[in-house]
Formats: sequence, C-alpha cells, structure tokens
Amino acid sequence: MRQVSRASKLAKGATLWAMIALSAAAYASSPIPAEKIAVAKSALQRAEQSGAPEFAPREMAAARDKLARAEKAAADHNKQSATQLAEQADVDAQLAEATAQRTKSHKAAMEFDSSMQALRQESQRSSTN
Amino acid sequence: MNAKYFTGMGLALALGACVSMPQPNAALETARLAVQTAEADPNVNKFAPLDLDRSRKELSIAEDASLHHRDAEVDQPAYLATQNARLAQAHGATRADDARVAAGQIERDQIVLASRTREAENAKASAANSRVAADAALNQRDQAVNQRDQATGETARVQAELDALKATPTPRGLVMTLGDVLFDTGRAELKSGAGRKMDQLGQFLVEHSDRRVQIDGFTDSIGTDSYNEDLSQRRADSVKTALINRGVQPSRIGTEGYGKAYPVANNNDSGGRQLNRRVEVVIGGDHGTAISPRAGL
Repeated sequence: MRQVSRASKLAKGATLWAMIALSAAAYASSPIPAEKIAVAKSALQRAEQSGAPEFAPREMAAARDKLARAEKAAADHNKQSATQLAEQADVDAQLAEATAQRTKSHKAAMEFDSSMQALRQESQRSSTN
Repeated sequence: MNAKYFTGMGLALALGACVSMPQPNAALETARLAVQTAEADPNVNKFAPLDLDRSRKELSIAEDASLHHRDAEVDQPAYLATQNARLAQAHGATRADDARVAAGQIERDQIVLASRTREAENAKASAANSRVAADAALNQRDQAVNQRDQATGETARVQAELDALKATPTPRGLVMTLGDVLFDTGRAELKSGAGRKMDQLGQFLVEHSDRRVQIDGFTDSIGTDSYNEDLSQRRADSVKTALINRGVQPSRIGTEGYGKAYPVANNNDSGGRQLNRRVEVVIGGDHGTAISPRAGL
C-alpha cells in the first residue's frame, strides 16, 4: 500500500514534496504503526515457517529484535520509530525467508545435479553395455 | 516509470550538485553498493526485477533526502533499499536454482525414459537369449532323448537279433541251439544251410565285441562216449572256425565237447535223439562276462 502511494508520488514527480508532506502528516494522525507491525509480524511468521531460524538466524534475530522494539515504540506512542522499526522488521523477515529459500533451493539443486550426473553416467554405462 | 524517475533523479542530482555536496552517509553508501551488486546479478534481472525496482525506488528516496540535506530521512529508505537489493538477489538465486532443476527434470525424464526403453530392449534381448538357451537346452534334451532312444533301439535291435538267432536266456547267458540239421550225421562240418545262421551269429558277435561266446557240442547216446565226445568237440570247433572266419576274435570263443551228456530229449526215439544232437552257443552278457561251464540240466 505504501509502495503504491510512493509509486504514484514518483510518477507525479512535480508533486513529490507535497506528497511527502502529506505522508508525514499521515504518520502523525493514522494508525500506520499498527498496520506496519501487523505486516511485520505476518512476515516474521512466514519466515519462521520457511526454516529461516535454521538457515538465516542472523536476519531472523534482527527481525525479531526490530519487531519487539517497534511494538515498544508503538506502546510509547513513538509512531515514527515504531513505523520505521516495523518496516525494517518486515524487510528483515522477508530477507530471512528468502535466504532460507535460497539455501534450500541451492541444496536441492546441488543434490539434483549430482543425481543427474549419476543418472547420466548410469545411462551412458548401460547404453554401452 | 523508472526512466521518468531516474531522469528526475538526474535533474535533482544536477541541481543538488550546484547547491552543495551532501554529507557522506554509511547507510546510503551500503545501499548504493547493494543496488549496484543486485543490478549486476543476471538472476535478479531475470527472476526478481520487481524486488530490484523496489530497491531502486527506496534508494532514490534516500538519495533525494541526502541531496536535500534531510539527513534524518536518509537511513530508513537506504536500509530498505539495501535489504530489498539483497532480497532481489536471494529471490533471483532461488528462482534460478528452481528453474534449473525444473529444466533438469525434463532432461532427467528423458534419460530415465531412454534408460527404461533400453532396459526393456535388453530384457527383450535377454529373453531372446533365454529362448536361445532354452532352445539349446531343448536340443540337448532332444539329443539325450535320441541317445536314449538309440540305446533303447540298440537294446531292441540286439533283442531282435537274438530273437532271429532264436537265443533263449539262461543263467549262463543267451543260449542258441544249433540243431543237427546243420550237420550231416557223424560229420562235424557245417552244412551249407548253416551259413545264414553263422552269418547272423558272427555279425552279432562282431558288433558286440565285448561279449564272450561259449560253444558246447552234444551228441545222442548212440556210439561210444569217446567218439561222441570227440564228435561233439569237433562240431563245436567247426562253429568256432565259422565264427572266426566271420571276424570274431578266437580269444572270445570257448569250446567244449560234452558227448552224450546233458541230453535235452529222450534218446529212445529218433526224434529225441535228433534234439540231443546239437551245438549250444552261449552268448555271454555285456562287458565280457565269463561263461560258466555246463553243469547239470
């Protein structure tokens, strides 16, 4: 949602400053931190289910830490800090999940490669028999 | 949209440069490097262009804030640009590996299919080989059967030959009796009519060279014992000579003259005496079994 509003700002170019001023105003008056925190929580849950704690522990730890701090900031009514921390927790969790997926996919691809190599050799051997 | 934005950024940079250089910012430097690295990653362009777009947009926001000295607004978009650039690379690598595996599955399926086909062909070929082996086994069996049949046939043929010789099985062996019709009275020479019988016997003994033969001569009770024994011996010798002439080794042939002993019929009438005037040819068993001498009836 935030990306879309940003994109429109970028597209308009000339109204950039007006839009930034508008979102700055929105930060102060809307429940954005709660939404951001919810989004970050959801991303963190997905990451936890994807095996990120095992494959991307550093990113996971960062995401958890930032989410906790975002919640604390939100509780302290520090909306800007809560929003920023929640955004970072979100992207950290996404990166943790992506890193875990990358590790798993790479492992699977390596295993596939070796099985293919064995299969090719087997095939070659049996074809020369 | 990007092109438009970058044009805008270029203008902004140019304008900014005219005003003053922005302060160096570590988060911004990291973000620039991260975005450059992601842009140079072919997997990112191919598989994660949206992540890269997001990263560039955050970077441009950070650059813009930096350009306009809103330093407090640089770090957050710079961090998001950095993480999105890394996300782009992670997604790119993941999808590249997944795509490679997916493409490899097709090749693997082809190899497996080819291999299965070959296995099937090999199985067919080995089935054919088995059939050949089975045929060979059948041939061998047939040969064995033939040999057995031949052996059986041989036995049957021997029996037929012995039947032709009118040989009778006895404890001593097969006994063929040559009646006195083959000899003139008081003579030991075989009559010409004996020739066919001698031919049969001689052929049989030549073919069955492991069998011994014992020739026993007998007379009726008329005449002296010495005469009869001599006559019976000479008749046996005549048969022996006839067999030798037909290729039978002398060492296989035994002879004995028993005279009037061991009559097979009553000597009181001419019919009985005729039966008693005889030569018995005893054919030994296989493997040169010795033939015991005549004893008792």
